Amino acid sequence: MKKTSKVLTLAVAALMAVSAFAGCGNGGSSSASGESSGSSQAQAGSFDTSKEITVVTREQGSGTRDAFVELTGVLVEDGDTKTDNTTASAVTVNGTEAVITNVKGNDAAIGYISLGSLNDTVKAVDIDGVEVTADNVKSGEYKISRPFNIAYKGELEGVAKDFVDFIMSADGQAVVAEEGYVTVTEGEVFKSANPSGKISVAGSSSVSPVMEKLIEAYKAINSGADIELQTTDSSAGMTAAMEGTCEIGMASRELKDEEASALESMTIANDGIAVIVNTNNTVEDLTLDQVKSIYTGETTVWSDVIK
Amino acid sequence: MQGVFFLTAITSIAAVALICIFLFYNGVPAIAEIGFFDFVGGQQWAPTNQPPSYGIFCMIVGSIYVTAGAIIIGVPIGILTAVFLARFCPAPLYKIIKPATELLAGIPSIVYGFFGLMVVVPFIRDTFGGNGSSLLAASVVLGIMILPTIIGVSESAIRAVPEPYYEGSLALGATRERSVFRVMLPASKSGILAGVVLGIGRAIGETMAVILIAGNQVQIPTSLTEGVRTLTANIVLEMGYSTGLHRQALIATGVVLFVFILLITLSMQAIKSRSEKNG
Repeated sequence: MKKTSKVLTLAVAALMAVSAFAGCGNGGSSSASGESSGSSQAQAGSFDTSKEITVVTREQGSGTRDAFVELTGVLVEDGDTKTDNTTASAVTVNGTEAVITNVKGNDAAIGYISLGSLNDTVKAVDIDGVEVTADNVKSGEYKISRPFNIAYKGELEGVAKDFVDFIMSADGQAVVAEEGYVTVTEGEVFKSANPSGKISVAGSSSVSPVMEKLIEAYKAINSGADIELQTTDSSAGMTAAMEGTCEIGMASRELKDEEASALESMTIANDGIAVIVNTNNTVEDLTLDQVKSIYTGETTVWSDVIK
Repeated sequence: MQGVFFLTAITSIAAVALICIFLFYNGVPAIAEIGFFDFVGGQQWAPTNQPPSYGIFCMIVGSIYVTAGAIIIGVPIGILTAVFLARFCPAPLYKIIKPATELLAGIPSIVYGFFGLMVVVPFIRDTFGGNGSSLLAASVVLGIMILPTIIGVSESAIRAVPEPYYEGSLALGATRERSVFRVMLPASKSGILAGVVLGIGRAIGETMAVILIAGNQVQIPTSLTEGVRTLTANIVLEMGYSTGLHRQALIATGVVLFVFILLITLSMQAIKSRSEKNG
């Protein structure tokens, strides 16, 4: 009898402990949700601008990071040296979803993702007063964006022409959109002339991932074509196109004057990167310099960039 | 038939041998190219810079810090739980606690990571400041993750101590607690130590949970609320996009991790042989 009562007491104690824990969890989450709903009602008042900025960045080697640091000037090029000055205290995550999760869960966080992956759970800030939209990226008004250009010498023929037709068709642009880039044209349904032969495409390592997908998709339609992809950089790609060592050159920037005069070029896609913050954050607009100074660690609190 | 047994036994050895060969074949040339001391002692990890730098000292320190944190949190809880389970727990309660600890062992690490990201990280951010993704968060979650290992091994070690030890101590007038802590625990210390070492092995090799909650900054943290990057996190984070020497440097990071695991296994063997001698 005594033993059973002891067991009962223990069981009751355990139950109480469990329910207290559960209650605590519920209390925590309900108060948290209360807080967030409260802040959405009185948005300006509740965001604490004295908070330290949590900088979220992508891992080294990520194409989005490469583009971001280059376009914002976080990457400093000096002759042969290139230094990525992203602050050492930046939270590093691998993947767009992880950036969104971190920014969504932290009032004071800032991150960047490619425009194609932007959704409502986070807020994109305007850069130099320009909203990040596909149109502003296309026009180049939105600063953290860049065109993906291809360039060739003279007239295209055979496989090269057919392939470029494919890129600019609805099917090719669908591949571009799938990779998270901004398309340049609606395009029409692609009809291959089925030429056979071998061409090579060379240039920017930023363009080459999407080019690889385009080549894959094109080969599925026209199996007679053999397209070789060489990944170097924009300048090397343009030089190769001018010298004729490749049929099509790739560049992740506007062509320079001497390149533009020697080559025919077209934009096949636009790469836009949205700078995102938590929806509770009151910041609406940042200048490119402010973004740079946040990412290099010079600006560390939100009150420095929110008036 | 015995040939079949032999073949199956060979499989695991062959797997270990192949992994060793792969790691060292790919990793050692990279270490040689970077320079051993620049690689292991360098504090700058910037593989995309021109010229690149590949120093993993911060990651080595990160792995050690995170593991130490997990041990500080996990070991006392684990050993005391084992004592409770082995000596004090009423049978009905045992039927609840024991399966619960075993369930803890079966939860996939990504679930621990997600739990950490959604519960532990915000809690730390609100309570201690910083951004939450931190050394502390990683230590807490890893501390929970190594509990089942420590509890399981320690409990069987305590149970393996002959009962007369306990009875003799009681007979000398010691209380139950005193008997457990002064007689039973010292008698089972090799077994408990083995459990702790296994826990260390699990903590240092853990990847998915840590990557979500540690912040992954390449820095030597100066406080518990700052982020760290562990060796495992470094490999997983950057493997996807890496090419050339960068990729090799990541494999070389694996070599360093492998050496750590080797040391842990060796110390495990040493503890085992010592306990066999004593026993």
